Amino acid sequence: MTGHFASRGTRAALLLACAILLPRGVAADQAPPDKEKIVHVLNRLGFGPRPGDVEAVGRMGLDAYIQQQLHPETIDDSAVDKALASFDTLKMDSSDLMADYYAEIRRFIEKQKASGNGAELKARYGIDTGKPEAAAAAAVQPAMPGPAKPGPAGPGMLQTLQELPSRISLRALGELQTAKIVRAVESKRQLEEVLVDFWSNHFNIDVKKGPDRVLKVIDDRETIRPHVFGRFRDLLGASAQSPAMLVYLDNAENTAPRKVGPIEQWIRAKYVEHLTGVDAMPAQMTPKMEGGLNENYGREILELHSLGVDGGYTQQDVQEVGRCFTGWGYNRLTGKFRFDSRQHDNGEKKVLGQVIPANGGQADGEKVLDLIASSPATAGHIAEKLCRRLVADDPPPALVKRVSAVFQDTDGDLRKVVEAIISSPEFYSSAHAKIKSPFEFAVSAVRAAGGHVTEPNASAKIRETLEGAATIGYGAEFVSGFKRHSLNWSIHEMGEPLFAFQAPTGYPEDSRRWVSAGALIARLNFALALTGGKVADASIDTAKLVGGVDIDHPAEVLDRVLANLLHGDASASTRDVLMKRVIAAQQGQSATVNVPQLVALVLGSPEFQRR
Amino acid sequence: MNLSRRLFLKKGAIALASAGTMPLWGPLFLRGTVFGAEAVRAENGRKTLICIFQRGAVDGLSMVVPFGDRNYYDYRKEIAIAPPGTASGAEGCLDLDGYFGLHPALAPFLPLYKAGHLAVVHACGSPNATRSHFDAQDFMESGVAGDKTVQTGWLNRTLLQCPEDRASPFRAVAMSPVIPRTLQGDQEVLAIPDLRHFGIAGGAEILQGASTANGFEGMYESAVGDVLHGAGKESFEAIAMLKGIDATHYTPANGASYPPGPFGRSLMQIAQLIKANVGLEAAFAEPDGWDTHANQGGASGQLAGRLGDFSAAIAALYQDLGDRMEDVVILTMSEFGRAARQNGNHGTDHGHATCFFALGGTIRGGRVLGSWPGLAPEQLYENRDLALTTDFRDIFAEIAQKHLGARKLAGIFPNHPIDPAGYRGLI
Repeated sequence: MTGHFASRGTRAALLLACAILLPRGVAADQAPPDKEKIVHVLNRLGFGPRPGDVEAVGRMGLDAYIQQQLHPETIDDSAVDKALASFDTLKMDSSDLMADYYAEIRRFIEKQKASGNGAELKARYGIDTGKPEAAAAAAVQPAMPGPAKPGPAGPGMLQTLQELPSRISLRALGELQTAKIVRAVESKRQLEEVLVDFWSNHFNIDVKKGPDRVLKVIDDRETIRPHVFGRFRDLLGASAQSPAMLVYLDNAENTAPRKVGPIEQWIRAKYVEHLTGVDAMPAQMTPKMEGGLNENYGREILELHSLGVDGGYTQQDVQEVGRCFTGWGYNRLTGKFRFDSRQHDNGEKKVLGQVIPANGGQADGEKVLDLIASSPATAGHIAEKLCRRLVADDPPPALVKRVSAVFQDTDGDLRKVVEAIISSPEFYSSAHAKIKSPFEFAVSAVRAAGGHVTEPNASAKIRETLEGAATIGYGAEFVSGFKRHSLNWSIHEMGEPLFAFQAPTGYPEDSRRWVSAGALIARLNFALALTGGKVADASIDTAKLVGGVDIDHPAEVLDRVLANLLHGDASASTRDVLMKRVIAAQQGQSATVNVPQLVALVLGSPEFQRR
Repeated sequence: MNLSRRLFLKKGAIALASAGTMPLWGPLFLRGTVFGAEAVRAENGRKTLICIFQRGAVDGLSMVVPFGDRNYYDYRKEIAIAPPGTASGAEGCLDLDGYFGLHPALAPFLPLYKAGHLAVVHACGSPNATRSHFDAQDFMESGVAGDKTVQTGWLNRTLLQCPEDRASPFRAVAMSPVIPRTLQGDQEVLAIPDLRHFGIAGGAEILQGASTANGFEGMYESAVGDVLHGAGKESFEAIAMLKGIDATHYTPANGASYPPGPFGRSLMQIAQLIKANVGLEAAFAEPDGWDTHANQGGASGQLAGRLGDFSAAIAALYQDLGDRMEDVVILTMSEFGRAARQNGNHGTDHGHATCFFALGGTIRGGRVLGSWPGLAPEQLYENRDLALTTDFRDIFAEIAQKHLGARKLAGIFPNHPIDPAGYRGLI
């Protein structure tokens, strides 16, 4: 697998010798293979090397580094915890987050009622304050409030902006997005962050949907993160009970049809009124039939989360799985999972050929999860997706087959599955095979340039709140109009609004999908903004990247920048193009190429788009 | 931008493909078409087709309501849209032909329908039985229902059949961050999420130089054989051409007013590109949010809100383009429709056939085309959905042939024989 060295001392000496002996301007292929492997691992199992990382891993040994990454609990990450100390919404209990979410709705409804906008409420949200029943139905999917409209910045506007961070349910989303970036840039647990990104995408949730903008905070913290190195069945089970997922794929509304009596209707109307401020009392409260099967989650858990679209299930299975998950919902006050047996379809079911006897209650859903988690189709589907993320867009079938076997043999031990992938020869021969997503690109650019995400201050909190609102569709134009964008908004504009992919399929894992002219332009602009000090929350010092080299020797400057940013991956053609540029600049034939611009050019190079 | 350079790129692509360094697109018969000698010249000069893909399976039965079919009201007690002119005060649909009515939120379409420029094709879609969004979108975009090995899109294959007299990097533009499947293939495509940001910020100095071999452009030009190479080249050609367009200050013509939001902006930018005469032949926009599983609403509500934005933007585009609509066709589509019966949450689950719109100066509009299969239980597909009577490929083929001038339809829709006699008569 990796090279064998007699001792760390020998390895270090060899690396040092190579560094000294490499003549200036020599192309990458003369770097020792060990270094190439390290760079590949740092690019693929993390978000790219920071200055000094390659050497540090060289000293530690690649095997030791990888083992450490596979056991992130052994890595001290207190620096990240410190960086995230001010992100208080991310530590809040779900009940407090939900409380603020409903407070936003009440505020909005009050404002609409006060301005006599009953018709507007009806037209946009189907809430007819004159027709309580419709109001009750619509309020189950509560309306989206909006922050203050942007306008000429007067004292009223300033006060509104200062009050914004108190709107927890908007700030929470902005903080969640920013925290993801902070972790990817600063955390030593790089592989964990890569896998969190993968599994968040696999169990995609769109924060634009109802309370998901707060519930995703909980999902990230309690569903995804704790399980990425655990058993797949546990991750799947956590997701099935995650209120964010229950909302996103409508399972919270998936119920057996049943008769609802007047007392329950009264209680419910009071509950809706308490939450949203809408008078939801029906004119007549006679017993009536309500509810019914909603197969959205039943379909997507089979098609996307486990078996895969060719996994051998039928439309009948989709419905039967839907029936098994009736009653799996959440409490809107606490924001926690709750199984409501009154809403559960207690009949007998048949899923994938297995009979599930009647009166199973919550166990029906658990049985489905057991069934699908242990299916060979699931092993193959998950193996393929992980190989696509970690190895290549067209994952080698032989590798997928071996990894699928590991999945089955270990009962879905995700740590062992990942280890099987990253110790394979296919992994090691796949350097540069993947194109970075906008998130990966932005984060790796900051890391490569030795940068950091700046500590948020009060105005950063305002910005995070605005970005949260803009992500769900309020004030995006306003945020886009800022002269300096944050890393989060830059990634948004490069085509990857975080946690906001609309369809359950998530962002494409086939990285070729990220390549397009518009996307490329956005990346080049980001590189220029980053090195020009125009990214609001990224601080980088490009001068450090040429430390010690005489700036009047452009070839040396260029080679140092290329070495520090691309670690030997610069192609001869890229080097030639840039060399012509710096020489022309030096000879006064074109505008001076200063170091920030040179760094931007390299960050925008075709090589840097790959991982 | 001269023709020989473009030919070089195409030949370069072919050379690389035979050397095995490029991904080889699809089965042999398709490659034969791509690299084949008998490309057909477009008959009609520079026409533009704007495809609008409603992602998420839009409820055709709500967009164009079959109020003449009693079953519709039985199936959707809470979310049906009332017939036109209902005395009860509920907002009814807008009568089209005595049997079908437009959803009231699609009111901006009514004058276009009455002027004979908007046609409806109902009970239209893909015959494939899948109810997976992902699969169904893939099939409708590749144009090959049921064959997952095809990697290219029907519109890209169509364009390859119609060689350009003047090459342009703007020939095909998707108003998205990522090239949609419909436009994937060897014809170069620009994916532009926002025209206003399509340029290198403060980049004059960076790009400046005696030749294009400097800086960003040079690096991407040199990245031969790399998927990034094509994207890079197209970017810089396009930026140069866009220098004449001020995308931030644009006043729509004829008093047109686009609704705020990404879809309105996408259509407005398509209008700008058309008017700038940059050679736009195919444009693509993809409004989403149509997957109304819960609380769909009826005449007002969730779906109505989306439809209002949808129709206002399209009507604004129509108005803005004015006389140019003679050369433009707007075609809407969606991967499937929604179940005839509402579900337990006042929404609808995935269905089968849906409703497409075609709009343009040459469209023979003012009619609901296709044959209506009926909504009686025995007439439903699998006892749950509106059945299909028009295959989407026949609609696409008619537009590709009569509007864009494509002739070798077998190359565009390989396993679906196209019979022009079977066209719905859209154009």
